[in-house]
Amino acid sequence: MKAWERLSLRARLSLLYAFLLIFSVVLVGGYSYWNIWQLFISTKSSHLRARAKPVIEHWLIDNGFDKLDVPGLKLNARNALALAQDLTSRDAAAVILDGKGRVIANGRRLPEEPEAPLPQGRYVQRALSGENEVTYRSLVNGRPVLVMLIPLRPRPGSSHIFGVIQMSTSLSDINEILFRHGAMLVSLVAVILILGTGAGFWLVGLSLQDLKDLVTGCNRISRGEFSQRVPVKNPRDEIGQLAVSFNQMVDKLEAGFASQQRFVANAAHELMTPLTGLRGSLEVLMRGAQDDPAAAARLTKGMFREVNRLIRLCERLLALSRLQNAENVHKEPVVLSRFLDDFIQQAKVLAGKHPVSIQQGPYVRIEADPDLLKQILLNLLSNAFRYSPGDSPVVMGWKLLPQGVEIWVSDQGKGMDKKTLSHVFEPFYQGKSSHRASGDRGIGLGLSLVKSMVEAQGGSVSIQSQPGRGTRVSVTLPLA
Amino acid sequence: MDMDKNGDEIKILVIEDDPVITEFLSTGLKYEGYKVTSRNAGRAGLEALQDGVFDLVILDVMLPDIDGFEVCRKIRSRGPDIPVLMLTVKREISDRVKGLDSGADDYLTKPFSFDELLARIRALLRRSGKMRKDKRLQAGGLVLDLETRQVTRNGKMINLTPTEFSLLELFMRHPRMVFTRETILNRVLGYDHDGGTNIIDVHISHLRNKLGDRPPHLIRTIYGTGYAFYPEGKGV
Ligand SMILES: Nc1ncnc2c1ncn2[C@@H]1O[C@H](COP(=O)(O)OP(=O)(O)O)[C@@H](O)[C@H]1O
Ligand SMILES: [Mg+2]
Repeated sequence: MKAWERLSLRARLSLLYAFLLIFSVVLVGGYSYWNIWQLFISTKSSHLRARAKPVIEHWLIDNGFDKLDVPGLKLNARNALALAQDLTSRDAAAVILDGKGRVIANGRRLPEEPEAPLPQGRYVQRALSGENEVTYRSLVNGRPVLVMLIPLRPRPGSSHIFGVIQMSTSLSDINEILFRHGAMLVSLVAVILILGTGAGFWLVGLSLQDLKDLVTGCNRISRGEFSQRVPVKNPRDEIGQLAVSFNQMVDKLEAGFASQQRFVANAAHELMTPLTGLRGSLEVLMRGAQDDPAAAARLTKGMFREVNRLIRLCERLLALSRLQNAENVHKEPVVLSRFLDDFIQQAKVLAGKHPVSIQQGPYVRIEADPDLLKQILLNLLSNAFRYSPGDSPVVMGWKLLPQGVEIWVSDQGKGMDKKTLSHVFEPFYQGKSSHRASGDRGIGLGLSLVKSMVEAQGGSVSIQSQPGRGTRVSVTLPLA
Repeated sequence: MDMDKNGDEIKILVIEDDPVITEFLSTGLKYEGYKVTSRNAGRAGLEALQDGVFDLVILDVMLPDIDGFEVCRKIRSRGPDIPVLMLTVKREISDRVKGLDSGADDYLTKPFSFDELLARIRALLRRSGKMRKDKRLQAGGLVLDLETRQVTRNGKMINLTPTEFSLLELFMRHPRMVFTRETILNRVLGYDHDGGTNIIDVHISHLRNKLGDRPPHLIRTIYGTGYAFYPEGKGV
């Protein structure tokens, strides 16, 4: 088994192919060999029978055996010998056995006439018990012969059996023919085997070439050449299909890799800005600004803000990476109205002057992770507060949909244009003309975090927004 | 103080949207004697340039309205040959090429060191002729040759250690400015110097001895605060 596994696929397939070839050739050859043999035997025996039948009939009538009531009439050495000699010819030997199975006459007179084999009790017994033509093979001086036992009866169909004729004829000629036939078969098998295996090896190699190209391509890609693709020779065969789906997989991988790189670059970029502020402020403090209380106070406040920003950024990055693992999502049935009533109490702390209200919907229980749901809604509310004028109202509510429950947060703020709308879910994306110069700056992770959190719970997010009119964010979650 | 040829203050315009960065830039640069004006967006920056005269612009690449490259191109197209120093987060090398293409004179990657920024500013100002390279500092009978690092008082040669030389240079560059021991420690011995500030008192007393500095001292002790340099030898 080990050696088998060490072989290449090509060698294995070729060997299997050769094995199948041998098997089928041997099967067909063997069958035809056996068929020819059967044909020969039956020809020989019918020949023997045809020769014997008239002789026996004449003999029966000549000796009056057909009328059994003739007194004193018995099979004896003399009349048996006559029969045996009549039946014996150059290619057939004949021996007569009496009712007890003893040889009483052998028809061989001339040396060129064949010798008869010794009778075999087993077969003789069968003939004596009424079987009409017992045929079997035997050996005379090591040469094969066909033996036929014919029971002697007064009339055909009579149950009285008073002796048995043993006819035999040489099978050497048949063997000769069969040997030649067999030799031909064997050489044919050898030729087919050599040609077939060779052709098989070549064909298998040919179809495996595509597979080899695939392997080479895979190796390149696994070495990091993500722009490589494996060649697709024939997109309709299995290997072609494999290549096509492999390429699709690499497309996905490449895109994922690129977005990962973009994400890391963006994250580093976002970390650099607060770090620049921190480093510069510290340096300026140490260079002497520490000696001026007013300047020192301004710088330290700024540094405090930057540190908080870094912390917020790290927390969000951690939250995003935690969501990659489904084990960190703990869903349970949540009664929405009760949950939102609790939530709004906490949210009002952040609202400033914004009036926040809930538009009650039907009683529903959803399947959600309460912690994540809270994070989602906090993010949406803080966006609504941040991107709308100080005292404009923010409303939340929910409604039943065929596929689940839609929870929405709507504001009457500055809204988003088409371009912003198409990018908001990308990590670190921030709309132009936003708030960057104000103290309360976003990071651009809020909505991408919301999307990840919603999708981790099997839901979806969508945004409707009109510049200058307001924004409505809808989160759809499955029912419990 | 660093003065230009006419003795006027050097005016720097900072165009940067991050409030903390703006804060430390203006505070730090003011301490170095520059007059700083700041704007938090590209358009506002361009307006400020039209209204006033500036000797140098520090320009952030990421601005909320028009990006820094664009602002730089506009500054260049309007004529005045004002040096522009770009600030950017190193994201792609091509930023540098783009920055220099758009006409920026120099380029600094965030997070940068403030010392490095000051050095770049000085180099740009010298190139544009707004500031000459200091070869020597002169005050109160003291002459500091910055190239040979030789010091004389009233023509008499004085031997100073490198630390004492830096200390004297700091004082002479910022006459009448009060430095705490902590600040002197940071600026003369480096930001990450461990150990107490007593070492500064030791260096000062050595320096005074070598200078033959008698009361009223050139290097005056400001009680409860630190030290300051009074070249005229009078006033508190
Ligand atoms: N309620 C809203 N109204 C208007 N604009 C919004 C709203 N929510 C998000 N945006 C826009 O989408 C961008 C991305 O939002 P988000 O991912 O939460 O990041 P951040 O708020 O930290 O900038 C914001 O910069 C803003 O331009
Ligand atoms: Mg946000």
